[in-house]
Amino acid sequence: MRFQDAAKDARAVVYAGVQADPLVARAATLLADASPAQRVLARAVMNGETAAPEPWRSMFPTLFGSAAPAEGSPERDRSEAILDASLAVAARGDQVRSQFRGAIVEAVTELLLTRRVGTAAIRRERRILFDGVPAEIHPYDVTVESAGAAEAYDCKWGARGISADVLHQLDDARAHAAAEGERLLPVLVVFDARRSCEVRLARQTAPRAGTRLVTIETLDRLAGRRAEAAS
Amino acid sequence: MTTTDAPGLVERVVDSLARLTALGETITDEWTYVHDLETVWVARLRAVAVAVAPRLAESPLSPAALRELETAVDRLVAEADLVTDPHRAIDWLSTLPQATLVALGEAAW
Repeated sequence: MRFQDAAKDARAVVYAGVQADPLVARAATLLADASPAQRVLARAVMNGETAAPEPWRSMFPTLFGSAAPAEGSPERDRSEAILDASLAVAARGDQVRSQFRGAIVEAVTELLLTRRVGTAAIRRERRILFDGVPAEIHPYDVTVESAGAAEAYDCKWGARGISADVLHQLDDARAHAAAEGERLLPVLVVFDARRSCEVRLARQTAPRAGTRLVTIETLDRLAGRRAEAAS
Repeated sequence: MTTTDAPGLVERVVDSLARLTALGETITDEWTYVHDLETVWVARLRAVAVAVAPRLAESPLSPAALRELETAVDRLVAEADLVTDPHRAIDWLSTLPQATLVALGEAAW
């Protein structure tokens, strides 16, 4: 088993520009330390239509209402910053915001993984090659390339992104690694509720038993932390 | 909030989910997924409405908190009703219940 940079085709070059946009890093940094409720706020705003901040503050009284953390407190400031960054993503327009949302989930995944395994082993947009096996078309969004404990991550904005192709690719990688006597943990990261992911997975026949599912409520496990209570 | 208000608020969201479902099901390949999503989230929201009733009977929300919660649900429903794209509607079928549960002070899942 060996890792290789993905070929830079036209799509990859365009997408690399999105991944490098400062807004992606800004949003990802905020979301890496966000509470579950703040992550739901980001999901709603980036999915939303309303461009002004005040209606969103009204929609999330536990973050911005009379019983929310006080104005000027770190938690309240983070909620405001997440709202601001999320509105900036939504303002990019339908097509572009979709790319930004995906890039943000990848960047959050990378940031949280860094807290567990450090930066040296983490790579982006990598293929995994096995002897005698044709390379997959799509690279993995994030990989942890540690000897004896490799991990491959596919990141999705929503549960609807889960497909048979995705599940097969992840499980095939695990199986091919095992055939070579290597350990590879495939992980599907979805910035959506597990309940919605389970609905999506319920009618999939592709193998998933060996693939770990990380959802919006359990993102902190990427960093080696247990999920906190949602509120 | 009284014990009867929570189900009333939740039913407004349930009605909104039905409108999102009607829009999302126009993506024919996703018909089953869309209806399954609606089913599980409606069940979750109604279960929460029942579960919070005894707690709210013991310690009702303040008038200000109740107004904030009603406004939150009104605006969430209004936001969902802005959606005209069926793909976006499918996203909102998952997002609206999570945001509603956060507004209710419950776990979002």
